[in-house]
Amino acid sequence: MSNHEIDRVKTGIPGLDELIEGGFPRGDTILVAGKAGTGKSILAMQFIYKGARDYNEPGVFVTLEEPPHLIKRNMSRFGMDLDGMIKAGKLSIVDLSPSKEMTPVTISESPSFDLSGLQAIIMNHVNKIKAKRVVLDTLSIMAYKFRSRDILREEFFKLAAAITRTGCTLLITSEILAQDQGLGVFDIEAFLASGVIVLYNEKISDTSRSRSIEVLKLRGSKHSSRIHSMRITDEGIRVWPGEISPGR
Amino acid sequence: MKEKQEIASEAATDDRIEVVFFKSDTCAFCPRAEEVIRDALDDFGSESFKLVTINVSENPEAAEEYGIFALPTVMIGGISITGIPEPEMLMKMVLGAKVMTMKKGDSNEQS
Repeated sequence: MSNHEIDRVKTGIPGLDELIEGGFPRGDTILVAGKAGTGKSILAMQFIYKGARDYNEPGVFVTLEEPPHLIKRNMSRFGMDLDGMIKAGKLSIVDLSPSKEMTPVTISESPSFDLSGLQAIIMNHVNKIKAKRVVLDTLSIMAYKFRSRDILREEFFKLAAAITRTGCTLLITSEILAQDQGLGVFDIEAFLASGVIVLYNEKISDTSRSRSIEVLKLRGSKHSSRIHSMRITDEGIRVWPGEISPGR
Repeated sequence: MKEKQEIASEAATDDRIEVVFFKSDTCAFCPRAEEVIRDALDDFGSESFKLVTINVSENPEAAEEYGIFALPTVMIGGISITGIPEPEMLMKMVLGAKVMTMKKGDSNEQS
């Protein structure tokens, strides 16, 4: 297959596919980075929900931060009926949020562990619904859960490889800290992914902010090198490919 | 492999302290962790403990329910250690679990 015929996965974000030659390359790992409140989780769930509903590509959403009942409530604002998709066997929400009652309190950690448990949990859901899309929201929370960052970095590569080996397209979200210039707390986020998308919500005056989106890299694709306007509408995230953001 | 309900009903009638060990088929550190745990429990007096081993490769649902994704992990009474455990830390967890059991026994007697 030549470069021009790369199989692409529709993102489900109106306007975004036009910036990236029609979608994410199938089986790639895509990083969505941004500061708090930039819309990372909405974009990630929209990728999963639209994939299941419009493109017949079941998806697994692994939440490491927000509990599922709040995700369902928040996404219903954008017309996403997550329970309906779950009942139809096209969507799984894997609850690994800190709010789980059964989760024990970790009092000690030695640098001799791996993430094979997380891999087994995710692969179980992938196999059950024959998923084609997987989201991990958010990678950054792992920095607070575990101290051994060197191990985590290595394990993230193994985990991403195991998921994408099945043919799934993996989308990982990463939070950029308020004063940070990088793409996340681990400093390897950009290497982990073959595609990087950054979301912004910048202050443009004393009274207003402007949302925008940038495709920082996407291997094997000619992508826009500009920063485009983005809005969070009643139907979720929408990108205006012809509109350059005034905010940056 | 013991089912969760079975474990729960046994726990209700069993005075032994339950030690839950999570491992997987691919985890390189798990065999050593299991050895350390078994040795430590033998040293403490194995008749006081019940070791429940959960292989996450065979039972990923249990790992999901407890939110355990780093392996090896050992859990005693709502607290856990990730990685190969130090015997001293296991001792602290066991003592904590024993104190909790005694407190529970006292409150049951009073009521």
